[in-house]
Amino acid sequence: MALLEVDNLSIGYRTKQGYLKAVEGVSFTLDEGQSLGFVGESGCGKTTIGMALMGLMPPNGSVGQGRILFEGQDLLEMTEAQRRETRWSQIAMIFQAAMNAMNPVQRVGDQIAEAILVHNPAVEKEAALHQVEELFDLVGIPRDRLRGYPHQYSGGMKQRAIIAMALACKPKLIIADEPTTALDVIVQDQILTEIKELQKEFNIGVIFISHDISIVADMCQDIAVMYAGQMVEYGPREAVFDSPVHPYTKALLSSFPTITGEKNDLIPIPGETPNLIHPPSGCRFGERCPGVSLTCSQAPKWIQMGPGHKALCCHC
Amino acid sequence: MTADPSSSETSARERYPWLNSFLDGWAIFKQSLLGQIGLTLLIIFALMAICSYIPPLINPMYNPMTGVDPDISTCTPPSWRHWLGTDFMGRDIFSQLLAGARIAFMVGVSAAVMSVVLGTAIGMTAGYMGKFMDTLLMRMADMIMVMPTLLFVLIISSVFGQLNIWTIVIIIALFRWPGVSRMIRGQTLSLKHRPFIEAAKMAGAGHFRIIFRHIMPNVLPLAFLFMTFRVTSAIIIEASLAFLGFGDPGTVSWGMMLQWVWKTGYMFKAPYWLLPPGICISLITLSFYMLGRAMDEVLDPRLRKEDQTD
Amino acid sequence: MELRKYILRRLAQITVIFFVILTVLFLLFRLAPGDPVSRMVDPDMTPEDSERLIVQLGLDKPLGVQYLIYLKNFFKGQFGYSFHYGEPVVDIIWARLPNTVLLFTTGIILSALVGIFLGKIASWYKGKKTDSIMTVGALVTHTLFLPWLALILIWIFAYKFSWFPINGMISEEVWLDPDNGFITKALDVLYHMVLPLSTLFLIHFGAYLLIMRSAMLETLKEDYILTARAKGLDEKMIRNKHAAPNAALPVVTSVGLSLAFSINGGALTETVFTWPGIGRELVFSVSQNDYPLAQASFLLIAIVVLLANLVVDVLYAYLDPRIRY
Repeated sequence: MALLEVDNLSIGYRTKQGYLKAVEGVSFTLDEGQSLGFVGESGCGKTTIGMALMGLMPPNGSVGQGRILFEGQDLLEMTEAQRRETRWSQIAMIFQAAMNAMNPVQRVGDQIAEAILVHNPAVEKEAALHQVEELFDLVGIPRDRLRGYPHQYSGGMKQRAIIAMALACKPKLIIADEPTTALDVIVQDQILTEIKELQKEFNIGVIFISHDISIVADMCQDIAVMYAGQMVEYGPREAVFDSPVHPYTKALLSSFPTITGEKNDLIPIPGETPNLIHPPSGCRFGERCPGVSLTCSQAPKWIQMGPGHKALCCHC
Repeated sequence: MTADPSSSETSARERYPWLNSFLDGWAIFKQSLLGQIGLTLLIIFALMAICSYIPPLINPMYNPMTGVDPDISTCTPPSWRHWLGTDFMGRDIFSQLLAGARIAFMVGVSAAVMSVVLGTAIGMTAGYMGKFMDTLLMRMADMIMVMPTLLFVLIISSVFGQLNIWTIVIIIALFRWPGVSRMIRGQTLSLKHRPFIEAAKMAGAGHFRIIFRHIMPNVLPLAFLFMTFRVTSAIIIEASLAFLGFGDPGTVSWGMMLQWVWKTGYMFKAPYWLLPPGICISLITLSFYMLGRAMDEVLDPRLRKEDQTD
Repeated sequence: MELRKYILRRLAQITVIFFVILTVLFLLFRLAPGDPVSRMVDPDMTPEDSERLIVQLGLDKPLGVQYLIYLKNFFKGQFGYSFHYGEPVVDIIWARLPNTVLLFTTGIILSALVGIFLGKIASWYKGKKTDSIMTVGALVTHTLFLPWLALILIWIFAYKFSWFPINGMISEEVWLDPDNGFITKALDVLYHMVLPLSTLFLIHFGAYLLIMRSAMLETLKEDYILTARAKGLDEKMIRNKHAAPNAALPVVTSVGLSLAFSINGGALTETVFTWPGIGRELVFSVSQNDYPLAQASFLLIAIVVLLANLVVDVLYAYLDPRIRY
């Protein structure tokens, strides 16, 4: 049984202008200890998927259809109380450190201990803090920082603390939402390496969300490319990275510079993302696609490119 | 926004960009319940103030200060002749109430305008000059903000005797400018490094010219909008002073009316005299507060009721 | 350690401000039109006493020297003699101080605590009836004219119903009776305190309610609230443990900013209820042209306000670790 199986998930938001279809018909699976990366530009729906998995949709957001099967159980069928129990103890999240993700007036150690205590009420506060110390060792924060406050931590250290907090209840799945975006490249590299090690050591499934395809390719076995709420390409990283099929994936790859490889011009993608309140009926990337043709005005279908590698395109 | 040449509104909006933001702001303001109630109340009080000139014209006995009814010389309850009754000297309470509205507006608006002018000048200077001047002025502002205005006016009146209403207004303004200056200083600081200021400097504009021709027009509208609805504290201070007996004996303000009803011992016996002035002071404060909140919503987009999108 | 340095720094600032006030008052009383001597020396005193007082206060010396003597007298606690009471001013204001502190601090603390608590609840039920009632209630009470509210309360509860005394802090009979112990006397004071305290409370709690409510609503939009929710905390815990401690900060700031306004209210309350505090003494002495008493009362009030500001600042620093560390 797969750790996580998402089947035809559609999510939308009620806005003043209408119903915004943020995510449409997304399906994927994740096995234990594996990692899957979601990559795409802002507004493509990748963060929304992460929020839906956690059950943290804002009041105007709702899941239209689909199932989220975690270890065989549909999360969407659960009551709020049941979801709260699984939150963090089974599925945890790593937020961006640049966000105000930690309570500024509470000590970092206490905040992490809180995660433990909420799910294990029998544990004593002292014991919980002791566990936090061990977590600090794992992620590389000096123990004496336990009683510090978030504003006293550097950016990298804050990110490590957030990772430690995610590991606190030894979850089976971690969703990492742009965890290194605000950090400088050296620290970024350290953090990513640490995440990979921790994932291997504890056999945690990871869903990695980023706009940076190079990071995702480094971190994840499988890659899902998102555009305008739909998944447009999905497959093992070698396949997607080395032989991308969908025009959007190709454009994404060529908009990032590489150290090795040919010296190409960076190709920006012209145009704007489509309006998700009234999305086009055909291929959503059609307007910006260099290879657009008449067939693209119909709804695109999945084309199987290889083992586990597929793309949503009309004419690829 | 499509420019329809046949629509007069759109062409007016194009010609006067400030009109654009004004009309947008008005649309938001209209939606605010607080703003509507506040504005309605304020209009009622304004009408009261304007009408305050009428009763003495009808009959000199209605003069709030000197009116003497030949038949009544003590406190009487409401009647057809005197809609709210008479005070301890037989003067008409209703015309006193109307006169009080006039005084309230005068005090509130004058003090607000003066404090805005003063606060803007000081705030712009502090923000633009920076360094020593800035520190000095802001320290002064801090000191003044800490002081209880009412009590200081009391001390001044102890030394200088009975104070005239305009003196009171000026002193109140002298205590209110720090709030304005802080905000203006912030605005000035953010404007100081904008390209158009740099350009003016390079064109050889002197400091004064930059401050008055370039910074002030951008800073003043906000200052007025922000402060004009903070008028209430001036009204309350004047009312409190009058209540304690230190107001201008020649003006009939609502606070003065309360002083009379209190000191002449009719407090318990004449609710028609006790209630109206107090209700008026409270309501005018409330209406300005509501207007201020509605203005906040117009000025600060974050306060508006927004939908969440992701 | 940082906290101690912070307190010392603020104390230094307060001292500077106080000296400025001291100097302004000095100049005001000595330089204003009229005879400064008549402002400091009781015209009813005997010529010898007058002479002695004039020398003591240095009124016959040049202005610069006068200032130095003035400062020296201040530190010695020598404020002259009250015209009205005929006693040393310092004795009078010292006796009044505890009464004001009792009423004022109780009023501020009570209205802040209740305001914060209700504001938290109002944000809980935002948009629903409970919230609307509380918000409207806060708005209305907050804008009432304090002296008028005081008069209304007296009229209804002291005059019409006779539930509470009309004025004063104590009932002479109770305090003069040798059989009455501390508790009885304290209860008597409390009994007299109900109406003035209610006045202060009603006027002030509304502002704190409204600020806490909007602070809570703002705080609930912060990222760390999402983190707390993700960790699996229930709504109640999130509001009490994460949102409220952060939302309380702007409320504390506003307590500090409104202290000047509050002390005005305190003086008005004391006057209407004839509560024997310094505020009332100031008003009274000004109306009686009792200059030495007026000056000293004002100075004492200034000290009280400045110290209150300091207390609020320290409280804020204690609550917000970003200031302390």
